[in-house]
Amino acid sequence: MKQTLHSATLDNGIVILGEHLPDLESVAVSFHAAVGAVHDPPGRCGLATLVGEMCLRGAGDRTSRGIVEDFESAGVQWSQGVSATHTSFSGAMVARHLPDVLPIYADLLRRPTLPADEFPAARQMVLQNLAALEDDPAHLVMAELRKIHCPAPWGMPTEGLSADVEAAGIDDVRQFVADRLQPRGMIVAVAGRIDWPDFVRRVDALLGDWPPGTAADVAGGPRGPRASHVVHDAQQTHVAVAWSAPPYRDEASREATAALAILGGGPSSRLFTEVRERRGLCYGVSASYQTSRDFGTAVCYSGTSADRAQQTLDVILAEIDRLPGTITADEIDRVKARVKSGLVMQQESSAARAGAIARQWYHLGRMRTLAEDLERFDRLTVASVESWLATTLPPGDLSVVSLGREPLEVPRAIPA
Amino acid sequence: MRFLHERLPNGLDVIAEVGDSALSTSVGFFVGTGSRDESDAVWGASHFLEHMVFKGTPDISGDEINRRFDAMGGGANAFTSEEDTVYYTSVLPERQDEAVDLLGRMMRPALRAADFDTEKLVILEEIRMYDDQPPFGADDRCRAAFFGGHPLARSVLGTVDSITALGVDAMRDYHRQRYAPGTMVLAASGAVDFPALVESARRVCGEWAPEAPSPRGMDHQPLAAVSRGLERVVRPTASLDYAVRMVAGPGERHEDRHPAQLLATLLGDSSGSRLYWNLVDTGEAEHAAFLHHDFLDAGLFVTQLSCEADDVEPLLARAADIFAAASAGDITTGEFQRAQNKLASRVVLAGERPLRRLFEVGLEWSHVRTYRSVADSLRIVESISRGDLDRVLHAWPLDAPAATVIAGSGGAA
Repeated sequence: MKQTLHSATLDNGIVILGEHLPDLESVAVSFHAAVGAVHDPPGRCGLATLVGEMCLRGAGDRTSRGIVEDFESAGVQWSQGVSATHTSFSGAMVARHLPDVLPIYADLLRRPTLPADEFPAARQMVLQNLAALEDDPAHLVMAELRKIHCPAPWGMPTEGLSADVEAAGIDDVRQFVADRLQPRGMIVAVAGRIDWPDFVRRVDALLGDWPPGTAADVAGGPRGPRASHVVHDAQQTHVAVAWSAPPYRDEASREATAALAILGGGPSSRLFTEVRERRGLCYGVSASYQTSRDFGTAVCYSGTSADRAQQTLDVILAEIDRLPGTITADEIDRVKARVKSGLVMQQESSAARAGAIARQWYHLGRMRTLAEDLERFDRLTVASVESWLATTLPPGDLSVVSLGREPLEVPRAIPA
Repeated sequence: MRFLHERLPNGLDVIAEVGDSALSTSVGFFVGTGSRDESDAVWGASHFLEHMVFKGTPDISGDEINRRFDAMGGGANAFTSEEDTVYYTSVLPERQDEAVDLLGRMMRPALRAADFDTEKLVILEEIRMYDDQPPFGADDRCRAAFFGGHPLARSVLGTVDSITALGVDAMRDYHRQRYAPGTMVLAASGAVDFPALVESARRVCGEWAPEAPSPRGMDHQPLAAVSRGLERVVRPTASLDYAVRMVAGPGERHEDRHPAQLLATLLGDSSGSRLYWNLVDTGEAEHAAFLHHDFLDAGLFVTQLSCEADDVEPLLARAADIFAAASAGDITTGEFQRAQNKLASRVVLAGERPLRRLFEVGLEWSHVRTYRSVADSLRIVESISRGDLDRVLHAWPLDAPAATVIAGSGGAA
């Protein structure tokens, strides 16, 4: 399989990444500004999300409607999102439309008009979303887990806090954009049927003369362990568990990824087998490895009827305890097979590849080729996973959250 | 892309859409059975059976099935709807035979009583999970109110009572009646070795008895809601209200179904639509959508709305005003063209993913035994005219008597 990766850096620091996938008709582009919820000022949790929404309500000469109509006239499947660390604008389209669409993105990033008359509706939209999330128990339990376990401000809810959003004004939005929406740390990724030199020329013409900016990085506070119960009146109780794992850039993230996949990454995983298949305790149970740039997290989740939630939590904790010394070669082979097919199938989607190369650059400062990624996982062994487990289990900072009518008993070692 | 088809002597259709540049192979069994084929005595059996298929065959345990799929790298999944039960996986091409072999063997499951009892607990948890989250069952309640005695009135999951009462023998009978080779299609898409696919099918499925499939109950669809007016589902702690409203639309064998799709995009897509600009962009609704759902012999136009409790009825009225204006002929050329571009672009982008194509091609063949390429679908979208939309709005009036269900903290009740 031939793979062509490209990168270029503009004078103001904007990094441009590209992957040529000649068999596709489509192209996907994404712009990731290095500003997100971790930059929300004190008392304004949700401001970055509000800013992301306001950027769509007027940019350059385009009105709110004009932006959407210009995207849709070119048949762009577009999206906007704010994460803890980034504000992203993306789109996938038939390749010939890309040159017409790039100026829209440049307007969104460089020339948001932030009109005061649109602000009340934008704020109301963010508040409506927060109200809807209050009705989603699985979201609530994971939000509480992040809050108690992750170092501040990474544990704060990306989508915001209602009281803070209510208190925000248009001046907060304008100040935040002026201080933070800058080329510094920005990544532009493109994948699919691309003309690389042409793409770089166009992005340079649109963004190259934008002054780089000086916004400072954010330092993290301390993290877990903690236990917490959230009262929620529903039939099911939801449980979530977390402990520390290495960040993606650390070589051991490979072993952490594998160990969490073995614990709860698919239908043959330990948790699925023991919690769902053997005991019928729940519909959904999983474990996964999650990562920010500077820290990683091991996460387990399940939701089940209130009267069986304690047993579900007990089995999850027992399966975590049982991991060291029991990893089998078959389990390692299954992880490798899954990683390999995931990586190969990514090549069928321009949007998946644009996202993947942008993430790799953010975490590693470079892109990995497919061959390098595959070779990296070929080096995974029972011994390498066991040696990571020996350093991480039992977890030194286990956090446990339950959400439901009644609290669950958690191991006494965990402070509330 | 090439389309290939072969029918085994026992009636099983084997089809494939082969893409020369695809890197992966998606395969699936499409079984023509779902909640509409159930009676009260086996309500929820189609979906429960879908779970039981993963619990093993006489020779292969459920754990072994899970291990084998994970070892192939793709994992396997399934879904059940009103009319279809679909089992599928995506693998690298060298795993095609292994994937077809395992999926094929699973279609003749052991249905062991002990597994049935354990899995029943999982199904009950799944019912409770959906009941605890928006729209708190309002969608199922609304479909029941719209369809009345029609087979499409039945929810896919069943109820706690119907699942509790279901016995393993009734499920075994249901499987025997509904999983006949003539009601099933083996479909593949992407990097497919078709001769090998047919060879695997002969080996694994060739001995299946060619029983006559039990006929499907096909009624005339109600052209207006059977149970009209407003029902409420009360969840005292809900933050928002969730409304679902259904009126009749064209079914999937009706020529109006493609313009109906375009109309739904124009009026109620998640961005850039009339409902979006009038209700969501203003911050009044958390979500507002207008969708077209089609079934074999029936269709629905569905309005979904979530917002604060006090606003739900006024905003439903505003949506009705938006529909009335469209019906009175105020759709502009610009918005018509944007909706058409949007649909065309979706067709092209989805065409690049073998798994998306598998669902398109498999369901189309399973329902009507025809094949539509990406180019065919694109031509259909591009041939829709303004006049087609006016015809749909006239033939399927959006102000026809509707079923409406609102779930929320209580409202005026």
